[in-house]
Amino acid sequence: MISYAARTPMALAVQGPDDQLTYRELDRLANRIARALEARGVRKNHRVAIWLEKSTFTVATMQAVLRLGAAYIPIDPLSPTARVHGLLTDYAVSALVTTAGRVTAVLTGSLASVPSLVTGGPGDACDWPALRECSDADLPDPGSGAEDLAYILSTSGSMGRPKGVCLSHRNALSFTGWAAAELAVTSEDRLANHAPLHFDLSVFDLYAAFQAGATVLLIPETWSFAPLKLNDFLIRQRPTIWYSVPSALLLMIQDGGLLDLAEPSLRAVLFAGEPFPVAPLRALRTSWPEARFLNLYGPTETNVCTFHEVKEMAAGDTTPIPIGRACSGDRVWARTESGGLAQEGEEGELMVAGPTVMLGYWGDAPQGDEPYSTGDIVRVMDDDNFQFMGRRDHMVKVRGHRVELGEIEAVLQAHPAASETVVLVSGSGLGARLNAFVVCNLEERPSLLQIKQHCATRLPRYMIVDRVWYLSALPRTGNGKVDRTALALRLNETTDQET
Amino acid sequence: MSQTDIFDRLKNYIASDVLEGNDVGLDASTALLDLGVLNSLEITKLVNFIEATFGVSIPLEAVLAENFKDLAAITDLIVTLERTIPGGS
Repeated sequence: MISYAARTPMALAVQGPDDQLTYRELDRLANRIARALEARGVRKNHRVAIWLEKSTFTVATMQAVLRLGAAYIPIDPLSPTARVHGLLTDYAVSALVTTAGRVTAVLTGSLASVPSLVTGGPGDACDWPALRECSDADLPDPGSGAEDLAYILSTSGSMGRPKGVCLSHRNALSFTGWAAAELAVTSEDRLANHAPLHFDLSVFDLYAAFQAGATVLLIPETWSFAPLKLNDFLIRQRPTIWYSVPSALLLMIQDGGLLDLAEPSLRAVLFAGEPFPVAPLRALRTSWPEARFLNLYGPTETNVCTFHEVKEMAAGDTTPIPIGRACSGDRVWARTESGGLAQEGEEGELMVAGPTVMLGYWGDAPQGDEPYSTGDIVRVMDDDNFQFMGRRDHMVKVRGHRVELGEIEAVLQAHPAASETVVLVSGSGLGARLNAFVVCNLEERPSLLQIKQHCATRLPRYMIVDRVWYLSALPRTGNGKVDRTALALRLNETTDQET
Repeated sequence: MSQTDIFDRLKNYIASDVLEGNDVGLDASTALLDLGVLNSLEITKLVNFIEATFGVSIPLEAVLAENFKDLAAITDLIVTLERTIPGGS
């Protein structure tokens, strides 16, 4: 990014809801923010949390943190304060960049001494005057190594606490380098940034653009699933490359008239995070014959480790599209239950080794050279292709977000009314809903809103339950374990009746 | 339409369409976004409901968290938009 600030200073680097910045402006702003953070005590190998909505300032802050040789931690802007307090404590951050209101709310108790850099809308208290006084000259190279921590992404953990996935410079660059080459990204490209910045999909939009001197177009979080706004964005901003969860594209097809969009500017459509249903994908593929369609696969722990380019889609073929073959310099294989290597036609757990595999979970032993076990069951197809079959545990995907049902169950269990709880997902894609089965201790059952209120103090919004079902007892299997299959069947019957 | 009418219709909509018909605890300042009552999908449906019910058009720029954070904010948004319709009361 710094090199483009010198080579193409006037080229547009990032356009956001707040502002737009050329490469030179982004470079200078990042330098100022870096100095302001340095003045607040941030040093090499420290961690800085960024709790902000998407904006050009937010992107500049991410760059600023890296320029100090520190790592940034993007936080879901609408996370509940109690959760953020927990995250900041666990990650032992050296500084927090956020709004004045959030500083007051979260930097309390044990965090009261954490320095903050405050930004905000017009009229809000903020550190802009201080920022303006900081020099925008280049900073000395912090000498970050490829294996140094660059950022931490928080994902759902089964034990009732989020897990911090630690990713290095090499992890990010191995993927973005592969993707930029595969798509031949140039300075002419305009990359749409749909995913929130705390979501690993956004790593591609930002860094593939900066690696090529291209423009990244930020889509505000509130438009993420507003199909008319997104289609309007496509028409006005004319991005050339799109990357999102399939849910967003599905919604744009169903409710936004995406298929009728004349002369789409997109030359590549990338999607990841959940399976794209075949029929709407075929419709989109047919509408835009010139564009490339790539299905990318990979958990946050490895970023994208396999890909499949969707080419011909025969009419009437309902076979799900594969997750494809290895990429980003990784090696992937399927391990059978007995620990052997799954052969063509066999199933096994997908294993990943290579440059995109994370450093480890925050607070846990480093991953080292150990391959990462994804927990995803795949079938080995021909040509080293893999087909996703399902999960081996209770992790589910809700509109692209990874959710450990156990984490929600642990939170619900803490409600005074709940003696036992099980959480299951019904539906898929856009229709996915989190259902809580609760055995209630109290005479008066909490309303759905009250259950949501309880969840909201501990969980990110995408993990708040959508429905509550009260039971007098949970069904049990012969050996006394909760019969999740019976509950799932009951759920299917109910939802079938409704549709 | 009066501010109270707008508020009541919005509240009914949220209670019946999102909260399984139970409005216990739902008031003007209930944090709809923070509680996941309105997620991105529900906002889209709500925008359609508002446009159909109140005859206002919600511009892109108005789909912001602060305009949808609670029933009071959404009501204010609709009242403001109604005022800007030429010939509106």
